[in-house]
Amino acid sequence: MVSCKQVMEQLWDYLDGELPPEATQEFAEHIAACKRCYPQYRFEFAFLEAVARQRQRLPGPSGALVQRLRAILSP
Amino acid sequence: MPNGAEVRRTSVEEELLAAADAVHRFALHLAGDAVQAEDLVQETYLKAWVHRDQYQAGTNARAWLFRICRNAFLKTGQRANREVTVEDAELEAMGAAGLHASVAGSNPDGTVFEHPELNAVVQRALMKLPEEYRTAVTCVDLEDQSYADCAEILGVPLGTVRSRLFRGRRLLQQDLLAYAQDAGLLRGMKETT
Repeated sequence: MVSCKQVMEQLWDYLDGELPPEATQEFAEHIAACKRCYPQYRFEFAFLEAVARQRQRLPGPSGALVQRLRAILSP
Repeated sequence: MPNGAEVRRTSVEEELLAAADAVHRFALHLAGDAVQAEDLVQETYLKAWVHRDQYQAGTNARAWLFRICRNAFLKTGQRANREVTVEDAELEAMGAAGLHASVAGSNPDGTVFEHPELNAVVQRALMKLPEEYRTAVTCVDLEDQSYADCAEILGVPLGTVRSRLFRGRRLLQQDLLAYAQDAGLLRGMKETT
């Protein structure tokens, strides 16, 4: 049985998919049922989503750069 | 008909080229400048091509290229101009924990992070992080690398990755939440909920 303390200590590991499957399942069940841990989980989840969204905001490599990379890989 | 070596070479070329977008993003986070990032990506691929025999087709091409890219970046000396000392950053991280706890109480579900105005400043806040923290956050949060792959990329133990990642995230939260407070985003959210 996982405790609130364990969830708080390993919340990032859980969110990053770094826990073993059995522990992941226990964390998921605890978080879904715990009024104390769930808001913290939502807070960190929303933060990570905001960071991950930056992937779509950044410009890709220019066409000229891609051409140069193709030339490097196919000399 | 192509022989086995030619097929393998084509496969590796395709894998490396498919990673170009991710390597470009990674280089942007390291260099902080579009022109320098393009130079860094080109240098990365030149080095990758020279050492292509070290890459095993079908494994993690992005992680392999990220590692080459970061090593190339560190050799350029650009890092010295951008880096904040780790000691200073650690002190900031301690303050971040307190700020986070106080704002988590007024905005417990983190909806502030979904605000369009805050979304627009995440990139700027990310670039303000010390390089070690920024790279760990970029690897895991933007490029979906595992802690183990991130450790390989950075050439550090797993525990160091966790430490840099968690401190980097707290610093980033501190910056974003300070912006949200100054911009009145938290107050606005409280009024609407």
